[in-house]
Amino acid sequence: MKNEEVNFAKNDQFNLTMIPGKFARGMRTCKIWQLFRFAVINVKMLIVVSKSH
Amino acid sequence: MARVVIMGGGVSGHTAATFAKKWLGNDHEVVVVTPNSQWNWIPSNIWVGVGQMNKEDVVFPLAPVYKKAGIDFRQALAVSIHPEGKADSDTPYIVIESTKEGSTGEKEELTYDYLINATGPKLNFGATPGLGEGSQMGTHTVSVCTADHAVHANEELQKTFDRAKAGERQKILIGTGHGMCTCQGAAFEYIFNIEHEAKKAGVRDMLDIKWISNEAFLGDFGMGGLHMKVGGYAVSSKLFAESLYAERDVQWIIGAHTSKVEAGKIEYELLDGTSHEEEFDFAMLIPPFSGVDLTAAAKDGSDITSQMFAPNKFMKVDAKYDAGAYENWKASDWPETYQTPSYKNIFACGIAFAPPHLISKPMSSPNGTPINPTPPRTGMPAGIIGKAVAHSVCDLIKKGADAELHKASMAEMGAACVASAGKGILNGSAAAMTVYPVVPDFEKYPGTGRDTDYTFGEIGLAGHWIKHILHHMFIYKAKLKPGWTLIPE
Repeated sequence: MKNEEVNFAKNDQFNLTMIPGKFARGMRTCKIWQLFRFAVINVKMLIVVSKSH
Repeated sequence: MARVVIMGGGVSGHTAATFAKKWLGNDHEVVVVTPNSQWNWIPSNIWVGVGQMNKEDVVFPLAPVYKKAGIDFRQALAVSIHPEGKADSDTPYIVIESTKEGSTGEKEELTYDYLINATGPKLNFGATPGLGEGSQMGTHTVSVCTADHAVHANEELQKTFDRAKAGERQKILIGTGHGMCTCQGAAFEYIFNIEHEAKKAGVRDMLDIKWISNEAFLGDFGMGGLHMKVGGYAVSSKLFAESLYAERDVQWIIGAHTSKVEAGKIEYELLDGTSHEEEFDFAMLIPPFSGVDLTAAAKDGSDITSQMFAPNKFMKVDAKYDAGAYENWKASDWPETYQTPSYKNIFACGIAFAPPHLISKPMSSPNGTPINPTPPRTGMPAGIIGKAVAHSVCDLIKKGADAELHKASMAEMGAACVASAGKGILNGSAAAMTVYPVVPDFEKYPGTGRDTDYTFGEIGLAGHWIKHILHHMFIYKAKLKPGWTLIPE
């Protein structure tokens, strides 16, 4: 059973959107991947901050 | 020697005051007037509201910091502005009323050469019957707008969790308490932190968690949403916001004006004009904001409040207030210098300035009820604007009345926001976002109004780490610890 897909059936609001699967959810707390994303997000934010000052 | 008076010691006012003092040194006076004795890092109040931080983690006393900086600190409420002086004096002044223990209520006239209005919002609970009275929160719902409110919110939340543990199914309702609220982001953070804590507490399956807001679509956040590139597509924030709600089993009611709050129940009106009720066991509803209750008087004592302030009590600055219909809105409507048109030595920054109009598309029901978010002024823009205004004032003092003013239009600056979806160093998450610019410029960026190379959003543990680091970083900066000026707003 794909638990992550159960909510689609709960109501029309949920049925018509997208829900992340196991892999996408898992990557959100995968430490190695998130360390990489931490670096990338910080660079992106620093660029926006520097454009704003 | 010139005196710069800053009304308000929040993000914008504190930034303006500390930079003004740094740039002016001891040659000139900087005075901060604020009714609170403590500074509050407001973005972390949601964590206090779910018991993941204590009040002491998000506040610190202002007096020692200002003493160290050489800033004159008056713990007082600013009551009125007298920009033309009075009958026997041309010197402009404000009237302040002490909120300090031992002198509460004592009034004083404080003269100024330059005045910066950084008074922030009045939490206008009284705008919705049952939500509260004036700026005082009522008893049916909770709030996370202040640290004390958040402490109380957590106490009530824990009681809700206890009832759930005892087998009683609980309804939780989070969102906006009026059709013209802003700060949907804070409510977003609170609802998903509650959901995250409920899972940890083992009571998630005993909770029905529902969102209610005045947004026309989820992910509006008061700025008309944003478009970001994901997997080669440019996609609206609506898609990802709805996805998170569906993933976390949080139903939503949108396009709603909360019209009345009672014990355990709200009434609301939708954009289609229909009215409905929603029951709750625990509710956090953001109040609408207005400007604080400041008045203004001319030299002869006549009331000039409506000349200086918009009907929403925010101070008029160099914005285009006659922009008209949505179709005519332009990025250039937004202020650049934040100088008041009538008095060149008065500025308004942060939430205190009157925006020219909404950012989101205006909506109202067939009954004429406006149901649309008002513009947010988050921490980064508030800090940047405060710093720019301080810079302008310092240049006016040091270079003279013809000094060029510094500009910080929200249509030409970006914002980095991090919206927590659950606290936990190993299992937390947050949506890290940037928007550039904050106010969309559809002439410069046809289609989305923003530069999609610098507008993005992503949810994950990294976002939570960033939010937690920012908590410590901005409190460090606000305490004026070594190197504080190196931390950007």
